[in-house]
Amino acid sequence: MAEPRRPDAAHAGMFPNLRRDVAFPIVGVGLLFGVFIAFGLLYQSYFGGAGERLVTTAMINAIIVLGIQIYVGNTGVLSFGHIGFGAIAGYTFAIFAIAPAEKVKRIPDAPLGLTDVDMGSWGAVGVAIAVTVVVAFFVGIGLARSGAESGAVAATVITLALLFVTHEVARHWPELTGGERAGLSFRIGGKLDTRVPIYLALAGALVLARLFAQSRRGRLAKAGREDDLAARAMGVNPLVQQMIALLTSVAVVSVGASLKVYEDGSLLPEDFFFFFTLLTLTMLIVGGRNSVTGALFGVAVITVGRELARRMGQDGFEVFGLGLDSEPLDWIFRENLQTVFLGVAMLGFMIWRPKGILSDWEFDEWLYRRFTRTQSAPPVPQATMGADQEARLEVSDVSVVFGGFQALSRSGFEVSSGEVVGIIGPNGAGKTTMLNVITGLVPATSGQVKLNGVDLIGTPSHEVARAGLVRTFQNLRLFGSLTVRENVEVTRLVAIAEHDDRSTPETDVLVAAAGLWDHRDRRASELDYGNSRRLELARAAAARPLFLLLDEPTSGMSDTESLAMVEQVQTMAALVGAGVVVIDHDLDFIIGICDRIYCLDRGSVIATGTPEEIQADPSVQAAYLGSSAT
Amino acid sequence: MTELLQNLIDGLGRGSIYALLALGVAVIFGVMHLLNFAHGELITVSGYVAFWTINEGWSWYLVAPVIIGTAIVTSLVIERVAFSRVRGSSDFTLLLTSFGVHFVVSAIFLLYVSASVKTFSEPGWVANTFPVGSLNVEVYDAVVIGVTLVTLLGTSWLVQRTMFGLALRAAAADFDTARLMGVRSDTVIRGAFALSGLLAGIAGVFWLMRSGHTTPTVGITPMLKGVLAALIGGLGSLRGAVLGGFVLGLAEVLLRSRLPDSVASLTEGFVFLLIALLFIFRPQGLIRVAHAERV
Repeated sequence: MAEPRRPDAAHAGMFPNLRRDVAFPIVGVGLLFGVFIAFGLLYQSYFGGAGERLVTTAMINAIIVLGIQIYVGNTGVLSFGHIGFGAIAGYTFAIFAIAPAEKVKRIPDAPLGLTDVDMGSWGAVGVAIAVTVVVAFFVGIGLARSGAESGAVAATVITLALLFVTHEVARHWPELTGGERAGLSFRIGGKLDTRVPIYLALAGALVLARLFAQSRRGRLAKAGREDDLAARAMGVNPLVQQMIALLTSVAVVSVGASLKVYEDGSLLPEDFFFFFTLLTLTMLIVGGRNSVTGALFGVAVITVGRELARRMGQDGFEVFGLGLDSEPLDWIFRENLQTVFLGVAMLGFMIWRPKGILSDWEFDEWLYRRFTRTQSAPPVPQATMGADQEARLEVSDVSVVFGGFQALSRSGFEVSSGEVVGIIGPNGAGKTTMLNVITGLVPATSGQVKLNGVDLIGTPSHEVARAGLVRTFQNLRLFGSLTVRENVEVTRLVAIAEHDDRSTPETDVLVAAAGLWDHRDRRASELDYGNSRRLELARAAAARPLFLLLDEPTSGMSDTESLAMVEQVQTMAALVGAGVVVIDHDLDFIIGICDRIYCLDRGSVIATGTPEEIQADPSVQAAYLGSSAT
Repeated sequence: MTELLQNLIDGLGRGSIYALLALGVAVIFGVMHLLNFAHGELITVSGYVAFWTINEGWSWYLVAPVIIGTAIVTSLVIERVAFSRVRGSSDFTLLLTSFGVHFVVSAIFLLYVSASVKTFSEPGWVANTFPVGSLNVEVYDAVVIGVTLVTLLGTSWLVQRTMFGLALRAAAADFDTARLMGVRSDTVIRGAFALSGLLAGIAGVFWLMRSGHTTPTVGITPMLKGVLAALIGGLGSLRGAVLGGFVLGLAEVLLRSRLPDSVASLTEGFVFLLIALLFIFRPQGLIRVAHAERV
């Protein structure tokens, strides 16, 4: 907010690191595509015609599953509705692609004169994408309104409702859809003459899914997936990212659905309903929903497994040429074994390996790490970058009432850049509530939070962060399954969009400054307690805030660790030129680091002054030790 | 006016069954934070029990308790086999686990019975009506409403006045603290599943009496009604679930009778649409359950 936003700043942050985020993913995805296709061709050359159909279906399913992965994988919102979007796309495609001469037989009275529309397949795919994306936009607004976040039940139900609404409409609007039994049919041989469109679409879906995950948008979405609240506090608005993920995802699903309809040669409401939802979700989950490699792998595993189950259901063990078609096993080798297989696969994975076989392992990331393993830590500059920014935070007269409990009454403090201000007080004094008010997590009953004269009360959390107030959390809210580097990178991406690119320290510099270089590629959830605290600090600093707000940065640390933390906080604050507000009840730490201290008790400021003055203040001692101590 | 009253009675009858189903969903959600997409499987299983027993010549008076017993046992078995293994997992895992249970159960019937519709005869009195003033009340509706009221009173007594109910409420408010205070998690969760099975069993008896058939996927519709009603009411609130059930029942009946004929077949679609809208404008449902996240 101090400097004007550079118009090209957002563009510069589209992909944080071109080599890692574009070059490697494209190479990696190319290799995966090659292996997948080679495997398919090998299979069909062995099994002939039936094998060919299976492979085609698998590729089309892969496109749809990758489409779903873009949304579910990056946002963590479980959608049962993507097959509903598929239905919308499939019907739109069919209605626009089928020749009028054919349509007259099935849907002679289609509304809007659609019976006579003759568009050809390519145009129809375009219309299908457009229509579905528009519907998705409105569904997306609904999801946002309902406060969709990772695992949110409301989001799941809205998407499920979409699946049912489309199904009901498809069944009961025969003028448009041909109804429940007749459906729509191409009757032009049904099959594509060539697989080229499918290859292209699959390759496109793979590239898009991977690039989305690596892009700025994808990374911000993943932050929201890991911890919605922490993402907001870092300046990310997950709802925007979710919407973009949804639209991208739905566009890919639309292409897949159009291909499926064309390849099947007909379309019934049942084709895009519960069973297909189960199939695609199982594929996504078995491989690993958070990874593109995993999604593709899941498609392969489930396709093979299901085919095996189908053959075993028909012929028992004869599939393996063993001739063991023994009667005692007949009770298991029955027709429909494949359906049981799917259900059991989903259930089994949820129970024993909910993250899937590959979890979030990504082929090209693995390659990239192998190529950069020996990289050494960048030097940490000593110079202060914030000499240019002058800022002042004035919190005044803030009151908060929870029910009948006055958590804060007309409290406040002031801090300028370059300062370190401490807020101390016994448990329940209102320290964390103060931070929550400033960062927009708790509404104040009254009062003002002015940053450079602008009142921030009522501003949403992510905008407070972007304005320059970034916090850490007392109870650690890291983005658990992202790596140390990625944790820092997410907030840095926000900073880049908001500030000048060049003056925001590199991710690697921040990681090194936090003393986490050796852990840079480990997941945040694997870090020990002290390192987690340091990462929270580095992550907050990466947003290049005007003020760092630290909520008990030494809680749970040993004395030596807290002393080291003093230096850590000073280094980080100097590195990004931020003032610091720190809450703690570790007096040694606070006195070691602060220029000025405010003491809160029962919601009111009872003393302010230098550390020495505070130490000598009898009312502070009383608050800490009970009144008898005076 | 008469039509409205008639709708009201029809809606209450329908809503009663939804309320029972929703209550079962809400009880499980309370203790496990699990939105149970497998709730309808209790009715699928009950449907096959009805098919086998009725066609053996059993009377409905005998079949009803058998169905209720089956639902309770099935509920406990599902808890034991699947849900007990994912306790405390993320919502994502829980949702998909229940989805998986739904598919496994229906696939088993597909595998070992068949995909075809299995019918059994409804009790003779289901279609009978008796006049009340200018209204025609179905005996079935009267019985359903009556039994539901008794069941709801009983459940209310169980939840409000017994040790088990106290444990259930404590677990719903804060599972970890409840455990620390000496509530046995196994007991309370199994109890919740048994209660949920009991409620689904009663609802199932009525559902099957009217429909007179079963298929491997017969449970989807009652599951959806139960889940939706629980959501309408506000997940986690038992009163809300009951309210949601009646609201859903009334909404369906009113929509069906008021919508123009040309779109009447889309009633279900409209109901889903209304529910999605409700979520958009009031994501917590009708009755808000307070829950704060500590930061």
